[in-house]
Amino acid sequence: MNASTTSPTDALTRALADLDRIILGKSEAVRLALTCLLARGHLLIEDVPGVGKTTLAHALAHVLGLAWQRVQFTSDLLPADIIGVSVFDAPSGGFSFKKGPMFTQLLLADEVNRASPKTQSALLEAMEERQVSVDVTTYRLPDPFFVVATQNPFEQLGTFRLPESQLDRFLMRISLGYPDAAHERALLAGGDRRDLLAGMPPALNPDAVRELQATAQRVHIAPALLEYVQTLVASTRQRSDIQIGLSPRAGQGLVRAARAWAMLAGRDMVIPEDVQAVFAPVASHRLDAGVNTGADHAALIAALARGVAVPI
Amino acid sequence: MNTAARAQVAATLVFMASVLFIAGHAPPWCTAIALLSVAWRLSIGFGWLQPPRGRRGARFLFGMLTALLVAAVLANFRTVNGLAAGTALLVVMGALKLIESRTRRDDGIVVGVSLFLLLAAALASQSLWRLPLYLLIVWGACAAIALIAYPGDALRTRTALRLSGRALAMSVPLAAACFLFFPRVAGQFWALERGAGATTGLSDEMSPGSISKLANEYDPAFRVRFAAGLPARAALYWRGPVLNSFDGFTWRRERARFYRAEPLEMLGDPVRYRVTLEPTWQPWLYALDTVDASPRRDVFMSYDRQLSTMDRITDVVSYDAVSHLATRSSGELSTLGRRYETQLPDGRNPRTLALAREIRARTPDDAAYARAVLEWFRTNGLEYTLEPGTTTLDSVDTTLFDSKRGFCGHFASAFAMLMRSAGIPARVVTGYLGGEWNPAGGYLIVRQSDAHAWTEIWLEGRGWTRMDPTAVVAPERLQRGILDLFNDSLPVASVFFRNTWLRQLNHLWDGANQWWQDQVVEFNLRAQFDLLRKLGVESPDWRHLGWAFALALLAWIAWVGLSLRRSVARLKPDRLARAWLRATRRLARVAPPRAAHEGPMDYARRVGALRPELGPRVEALAARYARLRFGPRAAKNEIAQFEREVRRLAV
Repeated sequence: MNASTTSPTDALTRALADLDRIILGKSEAVRLALTCLLARGHLLIEDVPGVGKTTLAHALAHVLGLAWQRVQFTSDLLPADIIGVSVFDAPSGGFSFKKGPMFTQLLLADEVNRASPKTQSALLEAMEERQVSVDVTTYRLPDPFFVVATQNPFEQLGTFRLPESQLDRFLMRISLGYPDAAHERALLAGGDRRDLLAGMPPALNPDAVRELQATAQRVHIAPALLEYVQTLVASTRQRSDIQIGLSPRAGQGLVRAARAWAMLAGRDMVIPEDVQAVFAPVASHRLDAGVNTGADHAALIAALARGVAVPI
Repeated sequence: MNTAARAQVAATLVFMASVLFIAGHAPPWCTAIALLSVAWRLSIGFGWLQPPRGRRGARFLFGMLTALLVAAVLANFRTVNGLAAGTALLVVMGALKLIESRTRRDDGIVVGVSLFLLLAAALASQSLWRLPLYLLIVWGACAAIALIAYPGDALRTRTALRLSGRALAMSVPLAAACFLFFPRVAGQFWALERGAGATTGLSDEMSPGSISKLANEYDPAFRVRFAAGLPARAALYWRGPVLNSFDGFTWRRERARFYRAEPLEMLGDPVRYRVTLEPTWQPWLYALDTVDASPRRDVFMSYDRQLSTMDRITDVVSYDAVSHLATRSSGELSTLGRRYETQLPDGRNPRTLALAREIRARTPDDAAYARAVLEWFRTNGLEYTLEPGTTTLDSVDTTLFDSKRGFCGHFASAFAMLMRSAGIPARVVTGYLGGEWNPAGGYLIVRQSDAHAWTEIWLEGRGWTRMDPTAVVAPERLQRGILDLFNDSLPVASVFFRNTWLRQLNHLWDGANQWWQDQVVEFNLRAQFDLLRKLGVESPDWRHLGWAFALALLAWIAWVGLSLRRSVARLKPDRLARAWLRATRRLARVAPPRAAHEGPMDYARRVGALRPELGPRVEALAARYARLRFGPRAAKNEIAQFEREVRRLAV
């Protein structure tokens, strides 16, 4: 099978099916992850170790046919380690820039909260600007450029929490959670997920991804729904149990994500259910400092969505 | 604080504020009980105390407590009717509600009780300084209602306050319409009986020293607005109780005495003015010198031209009066009048009687005799003072011959006695002299410290003539107020008096209060009719007011409706929405109704899960609706098609 012979939408369906084959029983999380990337957003996966965070990131890169790099973040990682360094080039007598692992299409930043704030901010700046500046030269990052970061919220020793402003750079935060019994048995019976991946041709390529991203932003959204999104976002600013409500940027993110989600569902317009589907992953990490992932928080987010009537 | 307790704490604080606001009009023990229950509730709200666990018998005890408190209120007032008893009952019942308050509904009731207390407080007193406090508490109360009503108890306090402020601002025009046009028909239900207050000012008795007690009271007695200019200061004799009976020590007014009033001829131009009298708990009204006629139907004018009401004055009252500063009576004083006004007790003040005989022997003419007595007053070293010391029972003798010190009352008493001793009819008039001009408000403030006493004597051919012996002893009293004269001996008032800045501030505040009293508190049926006349109604009656009120009400509703039109328009479903709502209503017969936050597809799936046979049809219908509603602009015929499908939907 060749990606170039089928239409991007068919390829997208196939990509989704492939991802489901790798990540068992997590179709909701997988869809959200794909939605995030199609909405040109960066993704934060937050979970305990061993539930397949890295596998998901790996599978995303593979299925989308993107070049990818993986950086394991540690406390002694320096910005230059991911951006790159200028080295002296003896033959030419000048300095030349040696690009770091960030110059890739999909960067997997593993355990992003282990790095020092300095390194974190270098990464997050690149995420926002989609370019890096070294000395006086600005280097554009490839297009598409995604960061899929993972973090373990329960291990606090020797970590640096991502501040709210930087959490805001991630369009979505999702978590995978433990698989259910049937899928866990299938997982145990099956082979290594990476071997499975290696034998699977990519369903998409960078051009197709760019095209899909553009298509997603053309999905129709009715004025009534924009009003619904605004009411939803504004409702978070009126509650006493939320310190800082959602920003307008969060509202924009909500609309982008809802469009991509609608496209993934094969629709050419957004319906209220699309907004509701992406509301929790878009809103929840912006409404706390990234530590509160408990049931209370989930209930609060659900209550927010329930508190606003859909347009009739 | 935990968010679940916020609504309760808000309701408690509102209750506390209204209890404190009305504290002056409720018995202290009621206020104490209410504040105790507030303190208890707040300690639970802030987590200092554990909430009580339900114990057996608690409800019975609580019922007993309720009965006990109702009985206590009954014992205190002998009734539960009326403003004072009703307020007390409301305060203790609110306190009890606060103690047993558990649910959100209970919090709502506590706020409701607080609002009732505010209403009672507004009935009890309408002073200007209470207005900002009142508004503040109402604002808080409405915010508390918003907090209580908001689902999940998670409304931000700031948002609640903003909401409440907006709602109150929107209600301002309605309040103005009610104020201006709601007919204030007589015998209103709000004309409640009031409790008794302390008597201030002058009474119908005057003993030596009784007036000097008033001299350092800075409180206003009344205020006067003149139609034309302010008359000369020395002419500002405000007549109050006229005293006609003397026992050698005390002058009093014998109510049983009256005689035919003499015919009177008014001289000079009339002075027109409006008096606003502070509550005195006495029946007297004050008027300048000789008043033409009774200013109101319910005011009685006696033979000696003293004005009094049927009831004690427990409220601020205003009345218009016309006075003349000069009069003449060419008639005769009636025989009865002459007998009454020359009566003296036997054997009292013998030295004064001797003095009268001595002077009368020299001057047989009445007017000359009066002049001679005044001359005696001037030349015999009498001293005008606030501290005249005590007198014996023969008070006039003490004043004239022993201490030689006296205040206006002493001199008036002595002069009147000297006149009566010589057979000249004389009476003591108490009242006020002068006043302080308030340039900020353009009116005269007459204070208790301006209290004065003088005499009137009957002269043939002139009638009753004012004689003020104090003017002879201390001529400067006519030009200056007591506070000015005795600046040093009046510690409290002098602070106000010396500091011009404070004095001006005081004038401004007094002016604002007057405006409030005249324009707002006393805005009565007559003022409403005046307003209607200005609006062009020929002969207004209460029906016009009703129409005006109804019109204003309609205008307000229209205004609110217009300003809410956008949200109203959004709430009003269009054709497509009506069709979808019809479909969901029909489906609600077989499945739970659609939740407000539920999108069409989610709802269809839920119905499908419950009624699989309906599933595919409902889902197709929902998908079609979603496409028409949220897709690019739907064509008319598509909507009509959808309506037909909804009609075909058989459940």
